[in-house]
Amino acid sequence: MSGNDTMRRYELLQTIVPALGDAFVICNLGFPSQELYAIKDSERHFYMLGSMGLSSSIGFGLAQQTAKTVISIDGDGSVLMNLGTLSTIAREAPTNFVLFIVDNGSYGSTGDQPTQTARGTSLAAIAKACGIESSVEVAGADAADALTAVLGTPGPHVIVAKVAPGSPKLTPIPLSSLVIRDRFRDAVRAAAG
Amino acid sequence: MSDPAPDVNSALLSALKDNGADYFVSVPCKLLTGFIKTMEQDREIGYVPVNREEEGLGLCAGAWMGGRTPVMVMQNTGVGTLITSLCSLGNYYRLPVTMIISHRGSPGEPIGAQVPMGTAVETLLATINIPTFRFGDPADAGKVGQLVPFASVAEGPIAIILDFDFWGQR
Repeated sequence: MSGNDTMRRYELLQTIVPALGDAFVICNLGFPSQELYAIKDSERHFYMLGSMGLSSSIGFGLAQQTAKTVISIDGDGSVLMNLGTLSTIAREAPTNFVLFIVDNGSYGSTGDQPTQTARGTSLAAIAKACGIESSVEVAGADAADALTAVLGTPGPHVIVAKVAPGSPKLTPIPLSSLVIRDRFRDAVRAAAG
Repeated sequence: MSDPAPDVNSALLSALKDNGADYFVSVPCKLLTGFIKTMEQDREIGYVPVNREEEGLGLCAGAWMGGRTPVMVMQNTGVGTLITSLCSLGNYYRLPVTMIISHRGSPGEPIGAQVPMGTAVETLLATINIPTFRFGDPADAGKVGQLVPFASVAEGPIAIILDFDFWGQR
């Protein structure tokens, strides 16, 4: 499947933010978190500031504890760092979990060095081979529809959204790690009633 | 391989549970064979075997934000792969995760390759400011359990190292 020539991660995130609804979102470190914060901030967003590769694992660990939908926004480079967790997610099969992978074929936060997905590795195929049946690759322009389509249906789901490299110039999120942690945990607790 | 001292594993899990621990992830170790079996058979806890310690820390982070009291069960060699995530996730977000770490590379160790990391592990944990406690007597299972609330007091990951003697395997 070919990527979209012009859509980058920022424009992709703009299209999916309305679809996030009241889901809890774990967002990958670096530019993805900065972009999500710039588009829309919420106490339901957990912005990662470090620990590259663990967005999927953190979201999965949370999804096991709540009936609410949990969406991890991840990146191709980060997923490649933690491929093993796809097999764990497949086996535990949290039905309320969506792994949304922004695949721009590059390490965007460090200067757009190409990742192996730019050279043919298919993360959707890997996820499917691990046992996550609902794993699809879509063009960035179709990703919001793909996300909307799976929300509310039993997962786990993996959506790989192909976009072009590149990022707007943004500034680091002006929230401390403890503020991000506490407001997110409070929101999870409040949602549990 | 049969576990030579199954009682210590039940005592350890009971002590951890009695002190609030209710979510466990594990990476295997020969010394943990019996304890992993004990966790697998316990229907009251959340238990997820993981592929790698970093993944396990991620699960523990998510589980804690979901209201659980997480424990990661692992071998000391895994500390080496975990340093960055302990710093930028565990320490930076001050997440109370109790690490139960079986220790290879001390007296009783038959494999020489275990010795370098066995020797380095406490220095590594000290370097990144992880409160670390070490036990080598099966009678200490209760004391180990009592450290679970200390992770919350300390607001961060803590490490509990258990060596061959804890499992009576020297």
